[in-house]
Amino acid sequence: MLLRTIARISLLGLSASLLPVSALAVANIDQPAPPFSAQSADGNTVNLAAYRGKTVVLEWTNHECPYVRKHYESGNIPQLQKEAAARGIVWLQVISSAPGKQGHVDGATALKVNATRDARPAGIILDPEGKIARLYGAQTTPHIFIINPAGELVYKGGIDSVASSKKEDLATAENYVRLAFADISAQRRIAQASTRPYGCTIKYAD
Amino acid sequence: MSAWLDAGRGWRLLAAGLLFCLNGLAGAAALSPRASTEQVEAELLAAFPTVTPGQEILLGVRQKIIPHWHTYWKNPGDSGEATKIDWQLPEGVTAGAIQWPAPRRFTLGPVTNYGYADEVMLLVPLQVAATAQPGQRLPIRASVDWLVCEETCIPQRVELGLSLPVVAPGSAIGPANPLIQAARLALPTSSPWPLRLDRVGDALQLRIKAPELAAPAVRELWFYPSEWGRVAHDAAQPARFADGELILSLQPGEAPLVAGEALDGVLVITEEQPGGTTRRSFEMAPTLAIASADGHGQETGAWSAMLLALLGGIVLNLMPCVFPVLSIKALSLIRHAGQAPGKLRRQGLAYTAGVLVSFAALGGLLIGIKLGGGSIGWGFQYQSPVFVLLVAYLMFAVGLNLSGLFVVGAGAVGLGSSLAAREGSLGSFFTGVLATVVATPCTAPFMGAAVGFALGQPTLQLLAVFLSLGLGLALPYLLLCLWPGLQRLLPRPGVWMEHLKQGLAFPMYGAAIWLVWVLAQQAGINAVAVALGGMLAIAFAVWLFGLTRQGGRLARHGGAWFASLALAGALLGGYFGIEARSAEVGASRSIRQSWEPYSAKRLAELRAGGRPVLINLTASWCISCLVNEKVALSSTAVGEALRAGGITYLKGDWTNQDPEIGRLLAEFGRSGVPLYVYYPAGAKAVPIVLPQILTPEIVLAALAPGNSTSLH
Repeated sequence: MLLRTIARISLLGLSASLLPVSALAVANIDQPAPPFSAQSADGNTVNLAAYRGKTVVLEWTNHECPYVRKHYESGNIPQLQKEAAARGIVWLQVISSAPGKQGHVDGATALKVNATRDARPAGIILDPEGKIARLYGAQTTPHIFIINPAGELVYKGGIDSVASSKKEDLATAENYVRLAFADISAQRRIAQASTRPYGCTIKYAD
Repeated sequence: MSAWLDAGRGWRLLAAGLLFCLNGLAGAAALSPRASTEQVEAELLAAFPTVTPGQEILLGVRQKIIPHWHTYWKNPGDSGEATKIDWQLPEGVTAGAIQWPAPRRFTLGPVTNYGYADEVMLLVPLQVAATAQPGQRLPIRASVDWLVCEETCIPQRVELGLSLPVVAPGSAIGPANPLIQAARLALPTSSPWPLRLDRVGDALQLRIKAPELAAPAVRELWFYPSEWGRVAHDAAQPARFADGELILSLQPGEAPLVAGEALDGVLVITEEQPGGTTRRSFEMAPTLAIASADGHGQETGAWSAMLLALLGGIVLNLMPCVFPVLSIKALSLIRHAGQAPGKLRRQGLAYTAGVLVSFAALGGLLIGIKLGGGSIGWGFQYQSPVFVLLVAYLMFAVGLNLSGLFVVGAGAVGLGSSLAAREGSLGSFFTGVLATVVATPCTAPFMGAAVGFALGQPTLQLLAVFLSLGLGLALPYLLLCLWPGLQRLLPRPGVWMEHLKQGLAFPMYGAAIWLVWVLAQQAGINAVAVALGGMLAIAFAVWLFGLTRQGGRLARHGGAWFASLALAGALLGGYFGIEARSAEVGASRSIRQSWEPYSAKRLAELRAGGRPVLINLTASWCISCLVNEKVALSSTAVGEALRAGGITYLKGDWTNQDPEIGRLLAEFGRSGVPLYVYYPAGAKAVPIVLPQILTPEIVLAALAPGNSTSLH
């Protein structure tokens, strides 16, 4: 066909004009969030796809990390979890500490730890091999990712703007997660969609 | 209260109080200069044991870290936290920022950190008050916060204190502290080499003109960005040497640079020497080259310019104004699918020759005008309304031909198109010429710089670039002719060909309509009437000519005569109707909306006042200009940003040649539109060139307040 010939000519031109595209496959803003299915602390299986139609927050955590403790002992993260629940947002903790490393817990311990620190997530994902963490490029605890009802990543980064382990800094910090919630409720694009995460390094397996 | 009841305790309190008072008298806190945690031993040091009033003295906080643990640099990398020092100083005494020694990398799984192991000295300059009284002591207190990590991380805080005697200026200040001196000498020095930073594809390319670094002794090179996310902290940084330049390839991180921003950081060079390895570090802040946002450097070399031109030429084949012409030729190719490969090859070569000759002619013309001192550029021929009208007529006539209103090769009526549609090598040659004529206004994004480069080059290189451009344009068709495998895929001739040919007339009519619209921009609404009238005359002439071909000798001659008359009427009427009017219309074009028309005077005025200015150089025949305006520059977000930033938006219309705009284009190494330049606030701010393909995000990022501060 002539059309095929024309298509070939076009292809020739196109292939020459195409420049190398990004080779990175990590979670990018406005791109579909990497799908996963994993064990949860209560023994069930959590599948990200099952939450299609809802906003999902992934919070990487390690209860022994001083930065995580700052946000739990001050009540900051428990409060955000409550606000999320009230807005119909699914808040999932992800624990990616490898066995034998700081913050590694079994399901029962994870539930117990949450009970002692007034944490109210919708679920706890156990990721001891760090698979989901690598999939998302999670680096710190805490490290927050927000996925919109269409399954696209709309936020990744820190919990707030002041990188410190001191509770008194909460007062002056810009709480990125709360701002993101407000933008989501108002059906706006999240203004600060990618921020610097801070905290302890995720304790990946060696 | 109970303390007073316990005599022993009371004494202790009294003693403590007394000690406090004594220290208070001496002006110093009873704090040790040393403090330890399980992982870190910290010590506060001064460059000299005494200070003089008004002097600047270097202090140091030294951390001795147990093995396998580390503290962090100012950019801690993917996680971690930089050490902070809070100073408590007497009035009039101020401490500066930490002078950070070069860091090291620590990688744990996918996380990379920048920091220090074993031992580090953080230097801080201290300005002593001029009013400090000799004989008194200067109390210094520092609260030092750090995060120390092995695999787990521990935030720690220590309080360190020092009390330095103030001595009169000129008196002996005592021996220098060798630790502080050594630390000062080990600080990164500013880079002595010329630097360039370009965006190449997705990566950043840092070029350091340092032939001395080519030595085989260099074991490792690493660029540490001072700010988080500027460069991916963990990505490899492949380095190579070329022409005395060290070229380091960096991956942008989560907070990538915008053109015109500086990449602040430290380059650490690890050298293998007979006595062991040495690390040398250099501070640098190369600015991301303004033209590099297009995907290529500002100074494209002769070869890369030719390569770019070649690619640009290939892309031109996809342009709507070229494709229909190519299709005509593809049709004629199919018609001759049965003929000998040698003949086809000759046709392919003839087409290529046609394109190359046209481009050479165009290049020659450009050289001529360039030498003549005229300020012109790519697409310049389309600045003449008469030229636009003629091309519109040509497109229309080609359309009529395709529609079947007159027969190919039936005389001079079809002009270029009849030459182009002629069979054989001559027809191929003129198809090449036609393709060139219609391709010129479609400036593919990267062609701007190639032509800009060519204009600034000696004649020979300019020609080379133009010929590359032409070769690119001709290449797909040439390959089709040279590659027999492709030809075998061509379908058999049939009635469908006629239908397809007729169908292809419509893009031609479309092109004619677009050109008439361009003409309307250039020469006003009356020119449209002239153009349409001319087209009517052409259609009539063509119809009459076609009709009378079948008649007798008299009819044929009469028909030809009348047709020529109508055609002459169309051409002459068009010429006089448009040339006379275009001048006055150019002046009466009204100012609309939020932009002001560009003039060098207005720009100079605004710049002198330090006002931020956004310049958009456009032309109505430039499709990408119009798309950019539609998609990005006219968006409400950009409009708001312009208002909010108090940015004056100047628009230069290059639809008709304007030497003032030509000069501005030349200033930025371009010879064609579009060109977008943002001058941030401040009379000395460095202008930022935006890419040729715009999105609202690109414009907003460029206009962001962070960019509006002077870069130098």
